[in-house]
Amino acid sequence: MSIAAATSLDLTESPTTNGRLSVIQLFNVCKSYGREQRALDGVNLKIPKGDFVYITGPSGAGKSTLLKLFYGGEKPSRGQILVNGMNVTRMGGARIAQLRRRIGIVFQDFKLLSSRTVFENVAFPLEVQGRKRYEISKKVFQVLKHVGLEHALQKTPLALSGGEQQRVAIARALVVDPLVLIADEPTGNLDQEVSLEIMELFRTANARGSTVILATHDRGMISRFPRRQVILEQGRLAGDIDSSGVDRLQEAGVA
Amino acid sequence: MSFLEGKIYFVRRALRNMRQSPFLCVAATGTVAVALSLLALFAVIVFNIQQVTSRWSQEIQVIAYFDEAPQGETLRQWQEKIEAYDAVSDVLFVSSEEAFSRFRERLGQDADLLDGLPVEVLPGSFEIRLHPKERSRAGVAKVVEALGQDVPAADLRYGQDWLERFESLLVLMKMFGAILGGFLLFATLFIVANTIRLTLYTRRDELEVMSLVGATPLFIKLPFLFEGALQGLCGGGLALLSTFLLHAFFLRRGLADLLLATGGEQVLFLPLNAQIALLLAGTLLGFFGSLFSLRQLVRV
Ligand SMILES: Nc1ncnc2c1ncn2[C@@H]1O[C@H](COP(=O)(O)OP(=O)(O)O)[C@@H](O)[C@H]1O
Ligand SMILES: [Mg+2]
Repeated sequence: MSIAAATSLDLTESPTTNGRLSVIQLFNVCKSYGREQRALDGVNLKIPKGDFVYITGPSGAGKSTLLKLFYGGEKPSRGQILVNGMNVTRMGGARIAQLRRRIGIVFQDFKLLSSRTVFENVAFPLEVQGRKRYEISKKVFQVLKHVGLEHALQKTPLALSGGEQQRVAIARALVVDPLVLIADEPTGNLDQEVSLEIMELFRTANARGSTVILATHDRGMISRFPRRQVILEQGRLAGDIDSSGVDRLQEAGVA
Repeated sequence: MSFLEGKIYFVRRALRNMRQSPFLCVAATGTVAVALSLLALFAVIVFNIQQVTSRWSQEIQVIAYFDEAPQGETLRQWQEKIEAYDAVSDVLFVSSEEAFSRFRERLGQDADLLDGLPVEVLPGSFEIRLHPKERSRAGVAKVVEALGQDVPAADLRYGQDWLERFESLLVLMKMFGAILGGFLLFATLFIVANTIRLTLYTRRDELEVMSLVGATPLFIKLPFLFEGALQGLCGGGLALLSTFLLHAFFLRRGLADLLLATGGEQVLFLPLNAQIALLLAGTLLGFFGSLFSLRQLVRV
């Protein structure tokens, strides 16, 4: 359904960047919580399908808010957001739910259910989608093997290390073969070595076709895996540097 | 997921929720049970008083006494005239003689008190019976007004004041019952909503993750709505049971004495439709209690 929607939109709104379909587009998006100062202010952004994008900037710059807008966790106060060609701004709860089935989300604090086993945690998204049991088992086992945790199936998350817990969370995000993989400071609670393993998982996911959007303020990580960086400062777009180090935002400003 | 399979899944999830927080489950059920028991007890009392008054009102009639009883043709004309009233079902003429012999019968052993009295001490009268649906204040008033014009000489007796007072007491009780009931239901709704909010609060991680991985709001809510309705139904059932027991062991005797009924058998339990209404009220309380707390918590 989404492909059809994206294709038809291709003709009318030409959501392409460098000849590729945009999976996420923001048009002049503002977001304020209550009366406070704007968390996001006039953000325009296109993320092509298959991209790997860092969202960076100091704490409080609006990174988490931006990610929430992508998966309908918050509604923008102003502006339009298209995800996979569909306008998130106008979606109700049921359609947001449908959208999230194609998006994998990973958090700094993992958000695993401690009353359930690793297997059950990873199976949860498929269970919610009402998939067949045998299909669920097969897929879950496959994904857990991919993240190297097939031996921990029956453990509960609290019996695992932080890195392992994050790998379970990533497995839960990957189990639906997400179109977009969104991660908010996924290595924020982990030490250097473990972080590298986690980053490796995001890279493979990207290589397998998922668009990856990763919020972080870990500069070391970015220089190790240089990719496009969208830089936020006080809710404004302060830079958009591609993997070769050119700031496209400045270029656009000059031109 | 097939339709049926889906339903079973929701029921399983609801039962699992209840197993995991048995205290809250008992609290919600108990609240509904206590509130509905109070209501049901009150309803039993009002219902029985109403039964008694409707029995009493069966005996409502208007009696027109004559100092000088009409004779022959006049008697027949008046009788026909009164029988022609809409509210009147039949008119019986009781002559002085008949009244005297009735009185004698009623006195039984003491009948000799009447010896030597002339038959005319008791006036002749019309006993005017009303149609069942006219046996009320309004019906009596209608007949009395018409009689005042047609048979001005008569002295009318109809126990209207007494009936009026009793009816207004009944209206007052019903009003009190409705206010008390409304208040109780509202308080129960509030408590049930809060109890269920507590269960939701203990499961907020699960609710959040569910929503993040693409569960529709309805999918998230259904088990909780089912849980609320089930707890409400159980509460209603408990209320029905406890009211029944109270009725069987205490209320029967107590009410019989109070209402001067001849035996406990005359004191009835709630009619079937009220019993069903009680169960339904419990179910709805639980359902809406859940719905209200869900609306605040699951904003997906
Ligand atoms: N739920 C919220 N309610 C009110 N203010 C919020 C909320 N979430 C974020 N903010 C505010 O919005 C701004 C951006 O926050 P956030 O998006 O979390 O930034 P970052 O993830 O870059 O640290 C901050 O000033 C923060 O205080
Ligand atoms: Mg953040």
